[in-house]
Amino acid sequence: MTLRVLTVDDSRTILAMLHHTLSNAGFEVLQAEDGKQGLDVLRSQDVDVVITDINMPVMDGIEFIKNVRATGQHNSLPILILTTETSQDKRDQGKAAGGTGWIVKPFDPEKLISVINRVVH
Amino acid sequence: MSDLDDFKATYFDECSELLTELEEQFAVIEEGERGADRLNAVFRAIHSIKGGAGAFGFTALVGFAHAYETLLDYVRDGRIELTDDVVVLCIRANDIVADHVNAAQTGEALPADYGAEEKARFDALARGETASDSVEEDELDGEMVEEFDLDFTPVMVNLDAPKPTGEAPVEDVFDDAPMMAAEGQWEIRFTPHRALYARANDPLLLFRELAALGKMNVRAILSDVPPLSDFEPFGVYCTWEITLVAPGLGEDAIREVFEFVEGDCDIIIAQAGTVPGLVSDESEMAADVSAEAATDEPDLSSLLALTEEEVAAPVEPVVPPAAFAPEPPAAEIGPQDSFDEAPADLSFAALAAEIAPAPAPAPKVDKPAPVAASAPVAKPAVPTGGGESEEGTGRSVGVQSIRVDLDKVDRVVNMVGELVITQSMLTQQMDETLRARYTELVRGLEVLAQTTRGLQDSVMAIRAQPVKSVFSRMPRLARELATKTGKKIKLETIGENTEIDKTVIEQLSDPLTHMIRNSADHGIESPEKRLAAGKPESGTIRLSAEQAGGNILIIVEDDGAGINRERVLGLARDKGIVAPDITPTDEQIDQLIFAPGFSTAEAVSDISGRGVGMDVVLSNIKKIGGSVHVRSWPGRGTRMTLRLPLTLAVLDVMLVKVGGGPYVVPLSSIVETMQCSRAAFERVPSGGRVLQVRGEYVQVIDLAQRFELSSQQNPDDQFVVLCEAEGNQKVALVVDDIIGQQQVVIKSLEENFESVDGIAGGTILGDGNVALIVDVQGLRTSPIHQNAA
Repeated sequence: MTLRVLTVDDSRTILAMLHHTLSNAGFEVLQAEDGKQGLDVLRSQDVDVVITDINMPVMDGIEFIKNVRATGQHNSLPILILTTETSQDKRDQGKAAGGTGWIVKPFDPEKLISVINRVVH
Repeated sequence: MSDLDDFKATYFDECSELLTELEEQFAVIEEGERGADRLNAVFRAIHSIKGGAGAFGFTALVGFAHAYETLLDYVRDGRIELTDDVVVLCIRANDIVADHVNAAQTGEALPADYGAEEKARFDALARGETASDSVEEDELDGEMVEEFDLDFTPVMVNLDAPKPTGEAPVEDVFDDAPMMAAEGQWEIRFTPHRALYARANDPLLLFRELAALGKMNVRAILSDVPPLSDFEPFGVYCTWEITLVAPGLGEDAIREVFEFVEGDCDIIIAQAGTVPGLVSDESEMAADVSAEAATDEPDLSSLLALTEEEVAAPVEPVVPPAAFAPEPPAAEIGPQDSFDEAPADLSFAALAAEIAPAPAPAPKVDKPAPVAASAPVAKPAVPTGGGESEEGTGRSVGVQSIRVDLDKVDRVVNMVGELVITQSMLTQQMDETLRARYTELVRGLEVLAQTTRGLQDSVMAIRAQPVKSVFSRMPRLARELATKTGKKIKLETIGENTEIDKTVIEQLSDPLTHMIRNSADHGIESPEKRLAAGKPESGTIRLSAEQAGGNILIIVEDDGAGINRERVLGLARDKGIVAPDITPTDEQIDQLIFAPGFSTAEAVSDISGRGVGMDVVLSNIKKIGGSVHVRSWPGRGTRMTLRLPLTLAVLDVMLVKVGGGPYVVPLSSIVETMQCSRAAFERVPSGGRVLQVRGEYVQVIDLAQRFELSSQQNPDDQFVVLCEAEGNQKVALVVDDIIGQQQVVIKSLEENFESVDGIAGGTILGDGNVALIVDVQGLRTSPIHQNAA
C-alpha cells in the first residue's frame, strides 16, 4: 500500500526536495503551496500524513492545522510541522493547533522518513 | 545534472523571485505603508531564502538571513518598532542577502565579515528585547511532582533542542539480563493526556518505536478508570508502565521517542531500580506483554485490551477515543508479505494472526487477555524508505499556474511564427482568378488566417511578463549610485505592470542599468549645484513603461543638467566619430552618446566601472529589435526612450524592393506610403534632401543610395514610405517598389553575421529569400556618415 503524503510549503525548493526524498522512499506525494490549497487537497483526497511549513502566504501553517482539525474529519491525521525555527515558539504554536510532530529544516532524508514512520501506522 | 543541482537551480530561481518581492515590498514600506501583510511577506521571503540555504549548506547566507529574520520577526510582532532607521537597515540587509545569494550561486567568495556590521545591529536590536524570554518548564515540573507525589526528581523529556538520533544496538539483547539497576535498563511511566490523541499521536506508535530499541515489557494500568457514574466517554484513563532492556541504551534515545508528545502526557523515565514503585508489581495490572524487538512480534494490541474486571465499563475509555484515533478492525489488515522487506518494522499483520491462539514467543501474560472486538490494531506499517516501488509522481492540486520550461514555449512560439508566415504566403498565392474559382478555399484561408492570428496572440501572451521584474531591481541601483556620487536621487517608476515578451525583459536589465547610471552620473547634479540652479535638492529619475501601438516605450528621464552638447561634440570630433566639416543638429549631437567608441571620461572611470559606454545600450536594444532615442533640454534634463517590439518572434512589415532586392520596413513605424517624382525632393543647405508632405518638411533617405545599390527605378515614379521615428520625427524612405504587407520572423544579424548600420535584422521570406529589416531610427539618426547626395 502506498502511503500518500501531502506537502504544504510556499517554497518550491522545499517542495521539490520533499518530493524527491518522499517519492524515492515510495510515498505518493501531493503538493500545495499554502494552507488554503492544502485544505482544498484534503477536501478531495485521502491523505495518510501531512507535512506543512509554518510561514506561508494566504493561510499559514498554524491556521491550516487548526482548520484541518476543526473539520472533525481528520482527527487522526498526523500532521508534521516543517520548521527552521530553532526557538520553540513555532513548534509550540503548531502543536497547540493540533500538530502531531515536527521536522527541523534542513532535514536529512533518513531523518525525514524516520519521523514520518514515527507518526504513521 | 544531479538532483542537488536541480534543487539548487530551483532554489536560485526562487531566490530571485523572493528578492524581487522584497524590493517591491520595501519600496512601499519605505513610503510609510507598514501593514502586517507586508511585514509578513517580507518575513516569509527571508525565511524561505534561509530555509533553502540551510538545505544546501550556504552557511554564510543562513547566518545572515537568520539574524535578519529574527529582527523581522520582532518587528512583525511589535517588539521592535519599525522606524525609518530600521527600514534603511532592512533595505541594506536585502542587498546583502542578494549578494550572499549571488555569491552562493556563482561560487565567488564574499569577505568573511560581509554584512557583519548589519548583523551586529540586528543582534543588538533583538537583544534589547529578549532578556525576558526564557524557560517555561517550571510549571510542568511542579505538576508532575505533585501528581505522582514521588520523592525523586522526575526525568523530564526535554525538547529544547532536537536530540541526536540515539541509535541503540538491538542485536545484542541479553535475554536474561539481571533485574537490577543497570545501564540500559529503563523504567518508564507514561500517562497520555487527551491532547495527545487530539494531535493524532498514538501510544501504539510510541510503543512500536520503543520496542525497536530493545526488549520491552508494557503493562496497562487501568486503576484510574472511574466508576461508571463519573465516566466520560471521551476520557482518557490509561497509564502504561514500561520496562525497556537494551544494553547501552541512553536516556536520550528514549526521550526522542516521546519527543512529539511532550506536554501531552505525564512521563517519567528512570534507570531500572532507581525509583521504587515506578513500575508496579502484579497487583493492579491489566495486561502485561513483553515485546522483543527485531526478532519477535510484540503483542501490542493486547495492551489496549481489557481484563474481566473492566468489562463492566465501556470499552472506549482505555483506548484512544474513537473520535481521536484510527481504529480499523484487525480484519482490514493488509497481507503480511507487504512487510517482508521491512524486518525492523513490527508486523501488525502477523500480530493479528497470533492474537487469539497466541503461541507467541514468550508472551508473559498474567491473565489471558481477551481481545475485545474493538481493540485497536494499527494500520499496516508504512514503507520504510529506499524502495522504488512507486513512480511517486507528485501531483500539484489546486494550483492555478503551471511552470513550463521556456524552451518549450519558445518552440511553440517559433512554430506559430512559421505557421503565420506560411499562412500569409498561402493567402498571397491566391490571385484573382483563383479567388473567383475557389470561394470555399478562400473562406477556409480566411478562417485559417484568423485562427492563426488568435493562436499567435495567445502564445505571445504566455511569454508576456510585467516589466516590474526589471524595474524592481532599479531602486537598489539608484540607492547605490546616490551613495557613490554623494548626490540625492529619487527614483520613480511608472507603468510597471506593462507587459513585454520575457526575452525582451531579460535583455532590458543591462541597458536600463546603464541608462540609470548615466542619468545619475552625468544628468543629476550635486545637491549644491541643484540648489544654486533653483531646483529641488534631490534629483528625480523617472522610469516609465507604456505600450504605444505595437511597441513598448521604456523611458528614463531625469531632471538634471541635460547633455553637455559642446563637450559631447568636441569629444566626438576628437575621436573621429564626427567629421570636422559636418555640423550636426542638437538632436544628432544628443544621439552621439550612443555612438560606438564614444564614452566620456566619467563613464569609463567611476560609476559604470566597466569601461563600457552607452553604445552597449544601443547594441543590446538593437539585438532585440528595438531602438533608442535621446532628447535633452539644457539645464532641465534628459529623456532616453527605448522603443521595443511587443513581441520578438513575429514582426508585421511592409515588403519593399530596393535595388532589385527585397527589404522590409516594420509596419509599426510606417505612417503612409506614396508615389512621387524625384523632382519633389528639395535640397537643403546641409546637403540633405527633404520632401514636403502636407506642409511639413520631411528628411528624405534614399535607401538604394544609402545601401550603395543601384536603383533601376524611373526617377519620375518613385515610391516613398513615410515613417515615423522617435520624437514624432518623420522620415521619407525612397524605395523602388512596394510589394505588400506581411509578417516575418526576425532573425538577428548580430548573432548570424554582424551588426550593420541602418539594418535592424534579417528575415527569411516565404519564397526562401532573405530580406533585411530596415532600421528607420538608425537611418535617421546616423546621417553623419551619409554623404551629401
